[in-house]
Amino acid sequence: MKSLIIGETSKGTLSQGTLEIAGKLQSEGLDFHLVVIGSEDNPKIGGDTFNATYLKINSEELTLSSVADNINKIIKENSINMILASSTYIGRDITGFLSVDLNSSPVSNVVNFTLSGDDVMTTNSIDGGESEYITKVTSDYKLLIIRPKSFEPAEILLNENYESINIESNELTTSVYDVFVEEKTGPQLDDSKIVISAGRGMVEVDNLKYINELALKLNAAIGGTRAIVDAGWMPYSQQVGQTGKTVKPDVYIACGISGATQHQVGMKDSKYIIAINKDEEAPIFQIADLGIVGDTLNIIPKLIENL
Amino acid sequence: MKIAVCAKQIPDPAIAVSYEGGAISRPEEQVLDDTDRYGIEVALQLKEKFDAEVIVLSMGKLGTQKGIQQALQMGADKALVIEDDSLVNANSLMTSNVLSSMAKSAEADVIIFGTESSDGYSGVVPQQVSRYLNLPCISYVKGIEINDDTILTRQTITGSEKVTMPDKCVISVTASGVEPRYPNFKDIMAAKSKPVEVISISSIELTAIQNQEFVEINSISSDKSGEKHIDEGNSFNLIIEKLKEIKAI
Repeated sequence: MKSLIIGETSKGTLSQGTLEIAGKLQSEGLDFHLVVIGSEDNPKIGGDTFNATYLKINSEELTLSSVADNINKIIKENSINMILASSTYIGRDITGFLSVDLNSSPVSNVVNFTLSGDDVMTTNSIDGGESEYITKVTSDYKLLIIRPKSFEPAEILLNENYESINIESNELTTSVYDVFVEEKTGPQLDDSKIVISAGRGMVEVDNLKYINELALKLNAAIGGTRAIVDAGWMPYSQQVGQTGKTVKPDVYIACGISGATQHQVGMKDSKYIIAINKDEEAPIFQIADLGIVGDTLNIIPKLIENL
Repeated sequence: MKIAVCAKQIPDPAIAVSYEGGAISRPEEQVLDDTDRYGIEVALQLKEKFDAEVIVLSMGKLGTQKGIQQALQMGADKALVIEDDSLVNANSLMTSNVLSSMAKSAEADVIIFGTESSDGYSGVVPQQVSRYLNLPCISYVKGIEINDDTILTRQTITGSEKVTMPDKCVISVTASGVEPRYPNFKDIMAAKSKPVEVISISSIELTAIQNQEFVEINSISSDKSGEKHIDEGNSFNLIIEKLKEIKAI
């Protein structure tokens, strides 16, 4: 099986999602070619055990269809048959484009895979993680979109030895302006040891001040359910769950969250889960290590006071 | 201007998804996926500004067509729908292939989606449709400003960016940024007389193939539930003790 990772840069090196896929392939003893998409200059993305190609994009252009054309060429030239990308905005766009070119439908939200002869068996997590759904991919090209935090990241000594290609725009390129980089201060959802998340049980947006205070005391990152993100209480970048981020902190504190399966998918692998909810039957209690049946709005202020 | 907006009927999301031989079980009565309401809202805002026609495209089990009606009630003009046994458990590429064909026959200039359905959530159909139709793909749109030009704000991993909407393109809309409208009684009544045209699979050139075999569903024993206490006013102490015990503080 000749594999290709569609990777991305982050802060001058490989993104966490890219390293996780590399880690899985290494543990399976599979060689891979790495293509990395980014707009940074000279990132450290090469390594001694694999070939890397840097596809440099211009941050003032939306030109991922041209990136996909380049990757398609690399797939053909290197007789690649398995293509893996992390489930990010770019990863999903590129894999979607390539799936049409290669006439092979991707498997999305993959949390594990194994090889079985010429086929690949993929695992999806369903029922909020209580069941796994196994699929056999039978086409010549196998495209897998991997959920973040599914595998341990590879430990690779990275260098600057790789081929670099400047992506040219094409007729589908759209120019981009007003690039806004969200100020990220304090602990981040992706790597914070403690995450505090809020749900509908916080009743109104003003009550998020308790969550903020508690987060400050515990040096925690703040997340939310889709319901409160849709309600405009929090930016989308803080959404935890199926359509948002996957987190895996040491401690996850769910405040006023009922725990729909779509939310559980994004947090169930946290090491220790504390849930506070009025409703004794809330599904979140099925996965909580410590469940408190009570009013979040009473409990959190007392918790803040006594920490 | 013609706008196609793709909408999916899904089982009541309040009930856990169940499976039959690997395919999602679909009752006769399915509802409009909430995710699609954002795309429909964007389509309707464009319709109001540019006097466009908004056509709902939907693939899957029709049943009572409640979800299709809900899309029309919001303000779409008509619907093109397709149901066929060969499309049960269709993969994302087959879905995109069919929707692309339908968008083409509707002569749509702009094709709008939610980012991913709430039941299958493959999250790649808008991108695939743009590739089939060779159109620019403006994915993860989280805001729209319609003046002389239409400015779309895209969600990116580091923040956001703006693009001017091309005359012909595919857009996917995230669940934030626009507020989907609620139909009133008049809208609900008006929807009943809007045309719903059923497309035959024979009119679609289906080149995508099924490349995924369902193997099995395994339940993982998730005996994760720990202790549960009813709050009697001092459970904050319990939380602090536990945080200390696991050395989180």
